[in-house]
Amino acid sequence: MKVHVDPEKCQGHTLCAMRAPGLFELSEIDGHSSAVAEEVPAAEEAGALDAARSCPEQAITVS
Amino acid sequence: MAVEDLDETARKAKRYHFDRHAPDYRHHFEEITRELHQTCPVAWTGTYGGHWVASGHEEVFDIARRADVLSNDRDLTGEGNGYKGITIPPLDTPYRAGFLEMDPPEQRHYRQALNPYLSPAAVARWTPFVDELARASLDEKIESGSVDFVDDLANIVPAVLTLAMMGLPLADWPIYCEPAHAGVYTPPDSPDLPRVRQQWLEMNIRLSQAVPEIRDNPRPGLIDALIHAKINGETPSDPDITGVLGLLIGGGFDTTTALTAHTLEYLSSRPAERERLSASRDTLLDPATEEFLRFYTPAPGDGRTISADCEIAGTSFREGERLWISWAMANRDPAVFPEPDKIDLERKGNRHTSFGLGIHRCIGSNVARMTFKRMLLAVLDRMPDYVCDPAGAVHYPTIGVIQGMQHLPATFTPGPRLGTGLDETLEVLQQACDEQRLAEPVTRRHQEPEIRTAG
Repeated sequence: MKVHVDPEKCQGHTLCAMRAPGLFELSEIDGHSSAVAEEVPAAEEAGALDAARSCPEQAITVS
Repeated sequence: MAVEDLDETARKAKRYHFDRHAPDYRHHFEEITRELHQTCPVAWTGTYGGHWVASGHEEVFDIARRADVLSNDRDLTGEGNGYKGITIPPLDTPYRAGFLEMDPPEQRHYRQALNPYLSPAAVARWTPFVDELARASLDEKIESGSVDFVDDLANIVPAVLTLAMMGLPLADWPIYCEPAHAGVYTPPDSPDLPRVRQQWLEMNIRLSQAVPEIRDNPRPGLIDALIHAKINGETPSDPDITGVLGLLIGGGFDTTTALTAHTLEYLSSRPAERERLSASRDTLLDPATEEFLRFYTPAPGDGRTISADCEIAGTSFREGERLWISWAMANRDPAVFPEPDKIDLERKGNRHTSFGLGIHRCIGSNVARMTFKRMLLAVLDRMPDYVCDPAGAVHYPTIGVIQGMQHLPATFTPGPRLGTGLDETLEVLQQACDEQRLAEPVTRRHQEPEIRTAG
């Protein structure tokens, strides 16, 4: 499973990091999110889906 | 001519009489929301000069992120685009509500100047400061067994923290607190209005004096950031800076207070849920916070002006038309939030719109979450059996501007003080601010403060 945060859509709501803290890191400057790694560990797949569904901007794609 | 009339009629076929400033709206909010969702999630209303109302989540999502065809601008002189900002009906104040009433690029430049003070990392550093504030506020009441969660806690903590982040004296918090709230809840026909207007004026004068004071005697913080900001390559004017400060106060005080008060009132009515939340706070506090945000949506919506003819979500908009985006109603859309009128502390997929959507996402969202959580935990730990008095709870009569509360008295089993009272604590906190330069941006200061806790 791959996860990606669209930097054009992310507005720094931070819900992804709340739902799946191991998968996303937030910019120290503006709280915008990026995936720690493109590939999601098997144990974190549910978290990745949860985070994607929690993003108010729908900026996260999971594939 | 006839073709244009037909066009108008067709475009505005979905009509609804919508007056969100009427007390009726607050009492029938859920019913009105359902009606709008089912019949016209984007509707035209003739109230306040005529405007669109977007209430469906999908429609709000599609519309709110269209900064290319929506403007927040308020044209003060009337010589520009004539747009009237984010309030419907428009305000007659002689200044814009900071960067919330601006469009890019200047809007973006302001946010870039302030982001390093308000990011999650920046805000996390203030946690011990907020904990001390909450401790002291509750210490004032803990032995009496009686408290007003608005007057004694939720009004105080956001106000003092905001002043600290700005670089203003903490002891001044009452000057800002009362007008910030009263300015919102005082109805236009109230006999209190002249006094409230006067307090508001004094607050703004104080704010405008603070800017040259800090320019002459630099102190770190949000005001310092604004003084040194480059907006379209230039330093912002003092009136523009004061407008931004007004926005940070208006955006930050009342909203956090509202969220905290509503939540405490709810938990009083659901003691089992309260206990569950407290016991499982490591897993429940975060999703519960998002659910309270969704359900209570303290800042229920914002106005926009359409800046170019466009079609979005099945509606044709014309340049110059006004639009109310209802975050509060979008947050109750069953298509996104099953059983939307129920509070589910563990709700998943809670992509609520309480901090807005798109480029104007509330810049204080991280402050709001942290302050709310710390106040809530302090209450759960110090007065876990509190009971709110329904007869004493005062909700704002109308929810057009902020869905807030004025008073929330409660009783509880008394407990011991843990330290010094509020005034003495404010002195300790002020010293920490001054000596450790707590209000520096996160790019300059990473550490949490060392706060000498008294007692």
